Amino acid sequence: MLDIKKNLEGTKLEFVLDGRLDTITAPQLEEEVKASIDGITELVFDFSNLAYVSSAGLRVLLSAQKTMNDKGTMVVRNVSDEIQEIFDVTGFSDILTIE
Amino acid sequence: MITSWDNDKLTIGLEGRIDSGNAAGVESEIMDLIKEKNPSRIVLDAENLDYISSAGLRIILRLRKTHPDLSIINVKSDVYEVFDMTGFTEMMKVEKAYRRVSVEGCEEIGRGANGSLYRIDKDNVVKVYNHADALDEIQHEREVARLALILGIPTAISYDVVKVGDSYGSVFELLNARSFSRILKSEPEKLDWCVEEYVKMLKRIHSTEVPEGKLPDMKETAISWAKFMQDYLPEESGKKLLALVEAVPHDNHMIHGDYHTKNLELQDDEVLLIDMDTLAVGNPIFELGSMFNAYRGFFELDHDAIESFQGFSYELAGEFWEKTLRAYLNTDNEKVIRSVEDKARIIGYTRLIRRSIRRGGLEDEHKRAEIELWKSELIELLDKYDTLLFDNDLEKAEFHNELDIEATEDNLNAVMAFVDENLESVGCSMKSQMQIDIAVEEVFVNICKYAYHPEKGRAVVRVGVSDEPVQVKITFIDHGHPYDPLAKDDPDVTLSAEDRPIGGLGIFMVKQTMDAVEYEYKDGTNILTLVKNL
Repeated sequence: MLDIKKNLEGTKLEFVLDGRLDTITAPQLEEEVKASIDGITELVFDFSNLAYVSSAGLRVLLSAQKTMNDKGTMVVRNVSDEIQEIFDVTGFSDILTIE
Repeated sequence: MITSWDNDKLTIGLEGRIDSGNAAGVESEIMDLIKEKNPSRIVLDAENLDYISSAGLRIILRLRKTHPDLSIINVKSDVYEVFDMTGFTEMMKVEKAYRRVSVEGCEEIGRGANGSLYRIDKDNVVKVYNHADALDEIQHEREVARLALILGIPTAISYDVVKVGDSYGSVFELLNARSFSRILKSEPEKLDWCVEEYVKMLKRIHSTEVPEGKLPDMKETAISWAKFMQDYLPEESGKKLLALVEAVPHDNHMIHGDYHTKNLELQDDEVLLIDMDTLAVGNPIFELGSMFNAYRGFFELDHDAIESFQGFSYELAGEFWEKTLRAYLNTDNEKVIRSVEDKARIIGYTRLIRRSIRRGGLEDEHKRAEIELWKSELIELLDKYDTLLFDNDLEKAEFHNELDIEATEDNLNAVMAFVDENLESVGCSMKSQMQIDIAVEEVFVNICKYAYHPEKGRAVVRVGVSDEPVQVKITFIDHGHPYDPLAKDDPDVTLSAEDRPIGGLGIFMVKQTMDAVEYEYKDGTNILTLVKNL
C-alpha cells in the first residue's frame, strides 16, 4: 500500500513515496526515517505518487520535521492539491517547507 | 305454523316432526300460504323443527321447483345432519341454528368499523357486527383470519358464530388479553415498548406475500375513493389524486387496513392482531394513510374526540405516531419522514372526506368545517407531490449500507473499501473523497485503539447517501467505553513545529473537513456521525 524508495546522496536523503500514508503504512515510513536519518542534513519527501495522507502520516512528517529542525532542512515536494488542502487545514503548510 | 312476510319474502316456520304421517297436511298448509302471498322468495325457518323424514324432504324439493332460491335457516344440529347426508346442503342454502349470546352488562373492550368487541367471560370475547345481515361478513372475516394465520400472522380465529339480539357475532378465545390502547392509557411509560412491538407486527404484515386473488386489492378501493372525490375537489386536484393512486404499482403484500392500537392485543407475552375483516393487499402507503387517520386525521379539528375512541390523548397519539413512523421507516431523516407522512395524509384525507360526505357530513355545520379543513390540506398536498411511493424515494434519499466488523486496525482497509464503494454511486470529488477517507480512518482507528481497551470488540459502520441535498452520512457505532472525541480541545495549529505536540490532530481534521460531526452515547452505545455535503 505504500512503496518507499530511498535515494541517498552524501548527507542528502530523499524518500519517494508511492501509495497511501495512513495508519497502516505510517509506521513503515517512521521506521525507515528513524533508521537512516543519522548524519543527514537535507531530507526530502517526494509526494508525486502519494495519494493520501491521514493524521498518522502527518505525525511522521511532524516528528521528522522536529528532528531536522536541529540538524538541517526538510522539504516536501510535488504535493497534490488534495494533500495540500490537508496541510492547509492542519496548519502544516506553515510548519513544513513545501515545494 | 308461524310465518312472517317481509318485502316479498315469506318466512315459514316449520315445527315439531315432519314425516309421512303429517307431510301432506304441512304441504297443503304451505301451498295455501304461497297462493295467498305470492312471494318471490321463500325462507324456511327450522328453529322449532325436531325431525324431518324423506316425505318432508320431498315437500322442500317440490317447493324449490317453483322457488329456486329457497333457503332454510336456524337448523338444529341433528336436523342439519339429515340435510347434510341427503345432499340438501349442497343444493340450497341451509344454515345451522346459532347459539344465542347476550352482551348485556359485558365489558366493551374494543370497537371497530364493523362492530364492537365484548368480553363474555374470562376466556372469550364476542365481536358483534353492526349489520343485522352480517353472516357474509363473518364468513369473510373468518376466512381472511385463517389465511393470515397460515401466512404466519398471529391472530385470533373465531370458533363459533352466535346470535346476539338481532345481529350476529363471532366468538374468539382471548385470555387475559389487553389492547395496546388500554396499555397506553394505563401505562403511558410503556410507549416505546408499544411502538417497538407495533412496528414489529406492522413490518411482519407488510412483508407477508399473499397468493394472488386471496385478498381484495387496496388500490382498487383507493381508486374508487379517488373517483368519488372528483365531484368535491377542484378539477385539477381531483385529476391529480386519481393519477397518483392509479400510478401506485400492484403489490401482493398484506396490509391490515385498520391498523391501530385497539386492534393489537397483548395476550400473556404474545402480540395478536385482531379485527381482520379489512385485510387486503397493496402498497404500504395505503396502510399508513389509515394509520394517520387513527392518530391524527380523524381528530384534527376535535382533538378531544380521540379520548373516547382510543382512550388516550391527542398528544400521546401524536408521539406514538411520530415514533412509529421513525421506527417503521428506520430513519431519523426528517425530510424522509415528513414526505412519507404527507403521502399518507393524501390517502388519509381522501378516505376521511369521502366517509364523512357519505354519512351526511355536508348537512352538518361542524362536520362541514371538518371536511373543509381536510380538503384544504389535501389540495395543498396534492400540489406538492408527484408520487405516493416512498420506497424508491427512501432509497434515493437515504441509501443505507452497513458493515459490522471487528474493530482492529487490520480491518482499516476493509472499512475504507466499504466506504469508498458506497461513495462511488454519488460521484464525489477527489478532495471530498480524501477528506471523508481521513475522517473515517481517524474515527475507526480511534475505536480500534480505545473503545474496548484492553479488550477487543466490534464496530458498525453505516453509510447513507442522500440525493437532496447531495450528502453523505457515515455513522460509527460501538459498544465500548463511553468516549466523546469531540469533547477534546482543538490543537493550536498556529504553533511552530517545535511547540506542537505529535498527535491530537486527527479529530481536529475531522471537525475541520466534515460539515457536521455529532456524538451521542445511548443505551451503552457510542454513536458518532459524520456528515459531508458533496
